Amino acid sequence: MIQASARSRCVTVTTTEEKPAVDVDDDVDLEFVEMIKKTGGPNIQNCYQCGTCSGSCPAGAFTNYLVRGIIRKALLGLKEEVISSPDLWFCTTCYACTDRCPQDVKPTDVIKAIRNVAVAEGYMLGPHQKVAAKVVEAAHAVPLDKESWQNLRVKVGLEPVPPNASGNPWAIDEIRKITKKSGFEKLIGYEEFMKAQKEKAKKKAEEKKSQKKE
Amino acid sequence: MTESKTDTATKVVDFREPRVGVFLCHCGLNIAGTLDMDDLEEYSKKLADVVFVKQNRYTCADPGQDEIRKAIAEHDLTRVVVAACSPRMHEPTFRTTVKDAGLNEFYFEMANIREHCSWCHPKGEATQEKAKEIIKMAVAKARLLAPLQKFEVPVTPKAMVIGGGVTGIHSALDLANMGFKTYLVERDESIGGHMAQLDKTFPTLDCSICIEGPKMVECSRNPNIEIISYADILSVDGYIGNFRVKILKKARYVIQSECTGCGECVESCPIEYPNSWEQNLGTRKAISIPFPQAVPLVFTINMDHCIECFMCIDACGDRQAINFSQEPEEIEVEVGTIVVATGFHSMYEPIPGSESKPAEKGYYGYGKFDNVLTALEVERLVCAGGPTGGEVIRRSDGKHPKRVGFIQCVGSRDINKYEYCSNFCCMYTIKNSVLIKEHEPDTEIYIFYIDMRTSGKGYEDFYRRGRESGFTFIKGRPYEVIEDPDTKNLIIRTEDALLGEPIEVEVDLLILSTAGEPSEGTNELGSKLHITRSGDGFFMESHPKLKPLDTPVDGIYLAGACQGLKDIPYSVAQGSGAAARAATVLSKKTVEIEPIVAVIDPETCVNTDRKCGICVDKCPYGAINALEGKAAVVNVANCHGCGTCVASCPQDAITQMHFTDEQIMAQIRAALEDKAEEKILVFACNWCCYSGSDLAGTSRFEYPPTARIIRVMCSGRVDTDFVAEAYRLGAGMVLVGGCHLPTDCHYISGNWVAKERIERYAKVVEGAGISPERLRWKEISAAEGLIFVNTIKEMSQQLEDIGIDKIKEENEKARKRIEAPLRRKGLIPTVKVAESDE
Repeated sequence: MIQASARSRCVTVTTTEEKPAVDVDDDVDLEFVEMIKKTGGPNIQNCYQCGTCSGSCPAGAFTNYLVRGIIRKALLGLKEEVISSPDLWFCTTCYACTDRCPQDVKPTDVIKAIRNVAVAEGYMLGPHQKVAAKVVEAAHAVPLDKESWQNLRVKVGLEPVPPNASGNPWAIDEIRKITKKSGFEKLIGYEEFMKAQKEKAKKKAEEKKSQKKE
Repeated sequence: MTESKTDTATKVVDFREPRVGVFLCHCGLNIAGTLDMDDLEEYSKKLADVVFVKQNRYTCADPGQDEIRKAIAEHDLTRVVVAACSPRMHEPTFRTTVKDAGLNEFYFEMANIREHCSWCHPKGEATQEKAKEIIKMAVAKARLLAPLQKFEVPVTPKAMVIGGGVTGIHSALDLANMGFKTYLVERDESIGGHMAQLDKTFPTLDCSICIEGPKMVECSRNPNIEIISYADILSVDGYIGNFRVKILKKARYVIQSECTGCGECVESCPIEYPNSWEQNLGTRKAISIPFPQAVPLVFTINMDHCIECFMCIDACGDRQAINFSQEPEEIEVEVGTIVVATGFHSMYEPIPGSESKPAEKGYYGYGKFDNVLTALEVERLVCAGGPTGGEVIRRSDGKHPKRVGFIQCVGSRDINKYEYCSNFCCMYTIKNSVLIKEHEPDTEIYIFYIDMRTSGKGYEDFYRRGRESGFTFIKGRPYEVIEDPDTKNLIIRTEDALLGEPIEVEVDLLILSTAGEPSEGTNELGSKLHITRSGDGFFMESHPKLKPLDTPVDGIYLAGACQGLKDIPYSVAQGSGAAARAATVLSKKTVEIEPIVAVIDPETCVNTDRKCGICVDKCPYGAINALEGKAAVVNVANCHGCGTCVASCPQDAITQMHFTDEQIMAQIRAALEDKAEEKILVFACNWCCYSGSDLAGTSRFEYPPTARIIRVMCSGRVDTDFVAEAYRLGAGMVLVGGCHLPTDCHYISGNWVAKERIERYAKVVEGAGISPERLRWKEISAAEGLIFVNTIKEMSQQLEDIGIDKIKEENEKARKRIEAPLRRKGLIPTVKVAESDE
């Protein structure tokens, strides 16, 4: 029996608007493929769209993420569509596709190369931005910033804070210098992100206040 | 008699003072689009002894050739240089042109400015410069050319066809029907090949054995065909018109002439073993034939399984056809031409004689899951004459499958296995689907494909027939197949690429369209015949378009799947085509041999005074004799013209006609006259490295215009004196390119001699103070255009890294040591600056 995937997608069958065709002059960026080739996916043009990657993909089984589709769009030069799509960030970099690809396209590396382009152009998914901001803030993508984790360490007989940057504020300062100097902060929009975070927190606090009043 | 041949081959007939005509071919825009032809014309006019220069749009076309003939007459030209494509392309054409005009055909030289220049370098000064120097080198050689006469050898009017599949059968039948005695050599017990194993053929659904069987029988009945089955090729010697082939006939333990094919022995035999011809799905007796239609109808005892109960001897009775003490027999036959038609091997197909298990880590669980079969196994199952009498059943429970899956491109189009498309799988999958559906109409068919390729005559109709029959075609290459341990069903997982959705299909039986691969023993046979394999492992044709059936060895032709996978109609056409090619040789009494042989000067040879015989050792063909107290002598009929002896002779007593020391030295000097330090001097063997460099051009691969290429027939011709001369003149780099070791050499072992010689000399060069990377030995095959390009790129980079100044410094430092042997032999020309008549 054929079992199409469990997930269902709602598709609008009719539309009153005309569906515009891809405009080769306006929508297509021919440099895009060259950039991907240089920065991680030298064999992307070998792709013959067999679907081994997307079939193998565990992320694709639960989300709309379709590696093969992203590669196809990239090959067409639909840069804006590819880098602005949140799907791009659903790859878990498990490398199952890279392992199985019969044409050595290295889809994972292609996705990573595209992500670099996306970030440079200002596209990044919230959670990823958050993780990147953590690196700037705490010098670790996953810092020990919860008490429960410290307790856990003590419970198994470890020092509450490990001898890495978490326990050495001077190291965090040094990392901060690097992230600043290298342009990493600017790249991930650190300032804006922190500002937004603060405002969000402020708003939340105000909301709470008004709730209390009521 | 051989002496007289030496005379004709090397006799200087009509030696004439050089008056060179240079013809510059535009080749449309292929050359003229990159190079400034007027500039080349002006340049060529100034070269020594050039009296006439002419541009043509297409020199090889009739008007271009006419102009050459006209100019020879009007300007009394005695040498002709055509600057155009590779000599491997049009040298024969222009030799004929020159001959027509009454000039000796060896007064012709080609300057390869297309494959070596305009096709592989961008427009620009350095490219223009390279083109000029290529012409200069050609003119320098042309000035020294000597007239030669081709000599003729008799042709043995017999042919050999190696491989008795449908291709070989047709080749042999055509040759035999043209009146030539033909030996059809087959490795297995019967001729027939893969076609005999197939049930039906696409797209017409003809019964395969019903149409091939009569042809097989025709072979056995044709008085001109001698089938040598169950035999291996041991060695091949000789040359076009005169090959000597040694064959080993394996012991059948049944006397072929006495066996009537009655089969009574089979009934008496108590032992059964898996029949590899039936893909090990059926069995055969220890004395048996692999299949009922076998030709020749002679039984064979498999001694690996025979228990020597001798029941068969009793059954055979008075016929006395069984002989347990039969020995393998070595025979030798002489033939004029050889057609190679050794076909292919299907992945996971058992090899006759060894009932080995298939690969443990097969694709999609093959070898692990019971109900995963190869297409060839299904051919045997679906065939009424097969082990199940035409029932396609599951291995796990013998039941008919209700849902059958096919996976295409298993091992094909896969960078991790075989990069090529196996050509016939799309069609046979549809065919097998049609047959299975015909046998069991309620079967569902699922075909997983990457691309459906149905480009033959009537093939697209057949594909539509498949769709109309309700087969489900799913575009998607399955990434995983798992087995349900209870039902032994198989679950195929993939993405339906056209839907963009993951899809899972459970089938009762899974059939893999496994890749075709080069036959077992392709490499070994290639080595014996001195024919090359292309990158995919199949035999390589001389030219992909214009000589698809020829090999680099004159008189040896290719047909069918051994050159690349192809289906039956195409294979049959090639079989007949190769027969026609072979007949062009066999139909004449004699064949002309290139007179580029080696000649020993008895005055200079020192074997008269003391025992030397180095040339005798180096000759790959044993063509040289050196009797005590006498000068060595080359047996011209056996000399293949590699020049290995020439370069090995310490006395320089040997000359290779048309590739003389003087001619090559003149090329070296022309190449290195200006800016020697910036150049890579390449000595390229005609068959591998030079062809590879041509392929780089044909493929339009770009590389720096630093190389100056000198063609020699074999890398064994490259004398250390040549390398010394190059450094004396200041060369930046030297590359000696030959065929791949161990067995690719067109002349058996010239490359071994060359490698050893160059590596030995590299130590001398290094000892003299020259950076080791400046002398390189590299094996580059005719298929490796890209490797040629990468080598030149790499060496150009090294050249840049070392730097001109350092190179000059090293050359100066090494000068004394490098020059010594040249000086001793008097090879350094007394300063004679070109006296231009300005």
